[in-house]
Amino acid sequence: MGTLSIGGSQLDSSWFLVLSAVLFGLGAMGVLVRRNPLVILISIELMLNAGNLALVTFARQLQNLDGQLFALMSMTVAAAEAVVGLAILVDIFRVRDAEDIDDLSELRG
Amino acid sequence: MAIAVFIIAAAIAVLGGVGVVASHQPIRSVLSLVLVMLALSVIFLLLSAQFVFAVQVIVYAGAVMVLFLFVIALLGPARELARGRLRFQGWLSALFVLAMVALMWTMLQGVQYRQPDKADMSVFGTVQSIAVGLFTTYLYPFELTSILLLVAAIGAIYLSRKRIDDL
Repeated sequence: MGTLSIGGSQLDSSWFLVLSAVLFGLGAMGVLVRRNPLVILISIELMLNAGNLALVTFARQLQNLDGQLFALMSMTVAAAEAVVGLAILVDIFRVRDAEDIDDLSELRG
Repeated sequence: MAIAVFIIAAAIAVLGGVGVVASHQPIRSVLSLVLVMLALSVIFLLLSAQFVFAVQVIVYAGAVMVLFLFVIALLGPARELARGRLRFQGWLSALFVLAMVALMWTMLQGVQYRQPDKADMSVFGTVQSIAVGLFTTYLYPFELTSILLLVAAIGAIYLSRKRIDDL
């Protein structure tokens, strides 16, 4: 177990990792349960944030900055993903009202 | 002190995450996600990641979430209709989440970390130390992310252009 001393008090790094796991699980649950495509994109952002938290925690635990640098890279990827996903969504909504992700299943084999 | 800050921020983050999944209007999901991101930025500060904290507040809570809000304002408040197609999937996914968190917890019990690199903690995570890593060791991936952002911008413009036959 890794103990981090932050501001004079001792915190365990597994607390941060469990918080990350809980947030990732909530995001995965959102993707599985919700049907609005916009909310599914929001849940994906939540999962990406949880991954960033794990990266920053390990960077602090190993006192190695590479984790923080990778978190910055993943933020860039998340921003690009959000932009393209929202553009596709706006393009779909221009043609018709798709309030259920199951309405967009024409490409299914 | 740090423990109290962590507990409060973690509670806010988990409540916000529940709000993302549970609220019926997309706008409430987005605002809950902003709450999660601000709570996570506090936790980044606890982990001495000052630059990641600033980027989280400016880029994530500032830019990406405002983009989501703009799209929701553009598309109108679409309510999710309560249809009976998903009956047991909610409970099933809750079970999945619980199983995943339990697995992570048991896995974390036996983790042995290697000896830390003994970095200078007074400059750990500052803009300077981040920039040194970003412009020396990771220069090539850093330049690749700029190409990625360019491709994303071109793709968004292409997707949202006015079609010729619309005119």
